[in-house]
Amino acid sequence: MQRNNIVEKVKEILISVLEHEGFELTDDLVAADVSGWDSLTHMIIISSIEEEFKIKFKLKDLNKMRNIGALIDIISSKIS
Amino acid sequence: MVFTSLNFLLFFPAVIILFYITPIKYRWVTLLVASYFFYLNIEPVFGLLTAIITLSTYFFTRLIDKVKDDKKKSKFMYINIAVVLMPLFFFKYFTAINDGIFNILEMYEMRWFLPKIHFLLPVGISFYTFMAIGYTIDVYNEEVEAEKNIGIVALFISFFPLILSGPIERAGNMIPQFKSDLKLNHTNFSTGLKLMLWGYFMKLVVADRIAIYVDAVYGNLSHHNGDTILLTSLLYPIQVYADLGGYSLIAIGVSKILGLNVMPNFNRPFFATSMAEFWRRWHMSLITWLTDYVYTPLAFSFRQYRIFGIVLALMVTFALSGIWHGATLNYVVWGLMQGTFLSIEALINKRKSKIENQYGLKSNFFYLIFSVCLTYVLFAVSLVFAYDASFKDALMVFDKIIFKRGSLFLDKTTLAYAFIGVFMLFLSEFRDEYFPKTLLFFNNKVFVIRLVSYLCVALLILWIGVLNGGQFIYFKF
Repeated sequence: MQRNNIVEKVKEILISVLEHEGFELTDDLVAADVSGWDSLTHMIIISSIEEEFKIKFKLKDLNKMRNIGALIDIISSKIS
Repeated sequence: MVFTSLNFLLFFPAVIILFYITPIKYRWVTLLVASYFFYLNIEPVFGLLTAIITLSTYFFTRLIDKVKDDKKKSKFMYINIAVVLMPLFFFKYFTAINDGIFNILEMYEMRWFLPKIHFLLPVGISFYTFMAIGYTIDVYNEEVEAEKNIGIVALFISFFPLILSGPIERAGNMIPQFKSDLKLNHTNFSTGLKLMLWGYFMKLVVADRIAIYVDAVYGNLSHHNGDTILLTSLLYPIQVYADLGGYSLIAIGVSKILGLNVMPNFNRPFFATSMAEFWRRWHMSLITWLTDYVYTPLAFSFRQYRIFGIVLALMVTFALSGIWHGATLNYVVWGLMQGTFLSIEALINKRKSKIENQYGLKSNFFYLIFSVCLTYVLFAVSLVFAYDASFKDALMVFDKIIFKRGSLFLDKTTLAYAFIGVFMLFLSEFRDEYFPKTLLFFNNKVFVIRLVSYLCVALLILWIGVLNGGQFIYFKF
């Protein structure tokens, strides 16, 4: 799957979980900059991503998700 | 030796002088020696605990780093967590478990082979145990590398400003600083002294003054009416905040003078407009520790249950936090109350945000005041269970507040002095929260204003501070 497609799908998941579009999905974007993306919604986002891409994260992966860029990289490595 | 003792006021300048005359490369050694001196001075045998925790943590983190197999890494991580938790479990829960078995058997007229034994909890044990666990998990998660110098690990576990009550620091922040060139400089010195001065103000003028009233009422509940108990219950959160917040500022200030940056522990918690926000501002080093090492692994395991998995993870995390505070029903209730508040907020959050946006409530002054007061009252209600009293006493507090009103017990001197302290504290925090760059005193550009401010606060501490007051509340945890 192309990186752009992954980004698009992640964006849809974020909009669906957070119920707003008040963010620009760049590689540098971090959860703290997005309204409503806290430690509670984070786990729902993670779970939705797993379902969408049919992948399983490890707890260790969570610590590496420092920003959207890192999250996309981890998803692509799992898909491939 | 504690921060409010005369011994500390002699010890700390001596450490600064020794630190200054030690070659930069070996300054961490001076800090390590000073830290062990500081801790052994409280009770020599406590040094054994820090030494065992250091040796075990050093050994297992090095092993985690060395082996390639993830199962082995995970095994070593769990072994070290079990080893470092053992002393904490023993000192914290042995008495409760032993007494419990003793009492149950006694009810059936049987004898337990051990007598009732009450061990003294080594002060600070929770805090350095948590730091050692955090470091071990961080090494396992490849967040930090295992430190090769055992002396640096020993210093991380025993660093004297933090050893008694935190902030619960992370290896990723402290170890690189200990290994860097530690220098004394004017800016750090001045910033550190300001933090210490305000920390002493919070502890001696605010916390210990309120403590006189709180202890007089909570210590003798049956003799006081509902109105007096209501005022006490509303004052107690401020006492706890000024106590641990004051301690934390002194610890951060002492570290700053030595050139070390320590994480903040509080961020004006009583201006929070929800319980979730409150817990992002209150005892931040503990709550981020719990989030990273307890809540996140739990929520991750329960993630297929979506919002209900999150609620379960919150409840378990705060129940554990309650049990850590004390092995009593009161603390479990306190923890479960926090978990319940946060779970309700998590469940209604989206609906609440929609209504707030629809009616523009977030910028409405009265709504803001209402939210701040509601958050404060919810926390104050839960804190009734966190005072050192029985569950029956905690229920008596609510019974009296609701049904047994009466005229207020006015200890005028204590309340008047407490009012001055609380007023200054809240005024300063109100300024920092809403007008951060105006009305500066400690950080004013004009030297005379700064000097007068320092003198005023110092004189206020000497004038109305409780200089023979009690210990810090968090020493018992």
